[in-house]
Amino acid sequence: MIGRFARPLCLAFAVLALSVAAAAAHPHVWVTMKSELVYAPDGKVTGVRHAWTFDEMFSTFATQGLETKQKGVFTREDLKPLAEVNVTSLKEYDYFTKAKANSKKVEFKDPVDYWLEFTDGALTLHFFLPLETPVKAHTLAVEIYDPTWFVDFTFADKDAVTLAGAPAQCKLDVARPADAPAQGQQLGESFFSSLGANSDYGAQFANRIAVKCQ
Amino acid sequence: MMRDAEAGRLLGIGLLAVAAALICCGALDAALAQGNPFGAGPGPARAAGPDGIIGWIMTKQSEFYRGLSGMIRAAKSDGTAVFGLLGLSFAYGIFHAAGPGHGKAVISSYLVANEETWRRGVVLSFASALLQALVAVAIVGIAAVALGATAKMMGDTVRVIETASYLLIVAVGLRLLWVKGRGFLNALQAVTAQPALVPAGPAAMLGAHHDHDHDHDHDHHGAHEGHHHHDEACDHAGHSHGPEPEELAGAGGWQRGLSAIVAVGLRPCSGAILVLVFAFAQGLFWAGVASTFVMGLGTAITVAAIATLAVGARSLAERLAHRRSGYGTLALRGIEVAAAVLVVAFGALLLTGYMVSERMFAV
Repeated sequence: MIGRFARPLCLAFAVLALSVAAAAAHPHVWVTMKSELVYAPDGKVTGVRHAWTFDEMFSTFATQGLETKQKGVFTREDLKPLAEVNVTSLKEYDYFTKAKANSKKVEFKDPVDYWLEFTDGALTLHFFLPLETPVKAHTLAVEIYDPTWFVDFTFADKDAVTLAGAPAQCKLDVARPADAPAQGQQLGESFFSSLGANSDYGAQFANRIAVKCQ
Repeated sequence: MMRDAEAGRLLGIGLLAVAAALICCGALDAALAQGNPFGAGPGPARAAGPDGIIGWIMTKQSEFYRGLSGMIRAAKSDGTAVFGLLGLSFAYGIFHAAGPGHGKAVISSYLVANEETWRRGVVLSFASALLQALVAVAIVGIAAVALGATAKMMGDTVRVIETASYLLIVAVGLRLLWVKGRGFLNALQAVTAQPALVPAGPAAMLGAHHDHDHDHDHDHHGAHEGHHHHDEACDHAGHSHGPEPEELAGAGGWQRGLSAIVAVGLRPCSGAILVLVFAFAQGLFWAGVASTFVMGLGTAITVAAIATLAVGARSLAERLAHRRSGYGTLALRGIEVAAAVLVVAFGALLLTGYMVSERMFAV
């Protein structure tokens, strides 16, 4: 008896809970990125050098009200405080970068060598993300994505990923979300398993880098 | 590398998801397992994306949103592009609200808990969307246009407003919970009291009971017409101390309706702020303002539709519950309490950051 009239309400509640559960899942910021994996002379990976170019709308927003010596021209110096804020804020999100060396998770330290440049109406954030400890990696996997998909990361069309100083036998493989194997799962399942397990809803938009050095 | 905050947020979201699944008697699976009914894959902008209706909605709103900046720029040289901008803003508003967001969830829960009519649901939806647009225009208009504020200052302003908005949601929810909790206890009292009364005078009680049922029918018609109605739980319990009907709906209810409008509409959407700032930078602030209001109109239509669905589901349940006065009423009151709890939970999760509505990114 309760079931009969509870059913329509169940549906209503489902809609409510569902709509809130993925509350941030719609990108407002688009980033086109280039990444460089940096190796030390001894063949160890030392970190990732990112160059993230923001979309026009966000770039305009971020530079709104900034004081410049010359109107409309933002020098690296003008943008220094903003770069500082960017890098500090990104810490909370682990720089949207995850890495595994030899199938083991590796940690990053705070970024160094960071700066912003403004060209053709777009901001680009440059920063080097050093590994906590450089590691000799037979396999290295790096993923860049926002789990909540507020920020949409896409590799640049050309030279998206490069290796700097890597041993000669290292082979690079880059996978964009579009190249990922067909997901195939129904939303009901994938949606909740992703929310339940690790809330990696954005993981299906992950950009993956793999390096094999045999 | 799982952080505490993240773990907490996951826990909150997980609990919500589990609650939804439990309440939903499997309806959710059926509703979602259908995949993409539109057949079309996500648009060219994204080759890959989540499957299903939600995925399609999210892909569409991304496309619309990305198109806005181009349209604003085009409007600089070509006046007719403004119509394109408005059309895109409208579509974005509709899809944006259809996607994830706390506004419609709070409004729907509020309506379900508060026995509101669909008409008031529609008015609430439009009013809160209008307020949301006004707040966005006010923030950018005052901060960026008049004061030359930076993105960081605007972000900070939004965060303050956001906190106030979430606190209000909690307050609105707690008030509902207080009122509805008493209604539930009264219904519980009525159910447990009945059997004890029957042996005392079977014939007399049956007669009295019949009268009661009659009253309910009458009252319910009143409710469906949008007038006030009596809480049947109160009638059953005799002279109850439950809420007066006027407290729940009717003229006085507008004040509380207002608090719900403010609670939901106070927080501007990040998209509108970005569009406004971009339009301002292009020297077309007014186009941004027009876009924001049209966006709000689209949002209001979707939220109103969802709110109407929630109200419809509730009144259907009410009609069915009505046939079984005792336990049916109890269940109905229980559902109201659950909806009130949801409102409080939304507010609390948003407030503590376990649930992120929309963040202002890294500025």
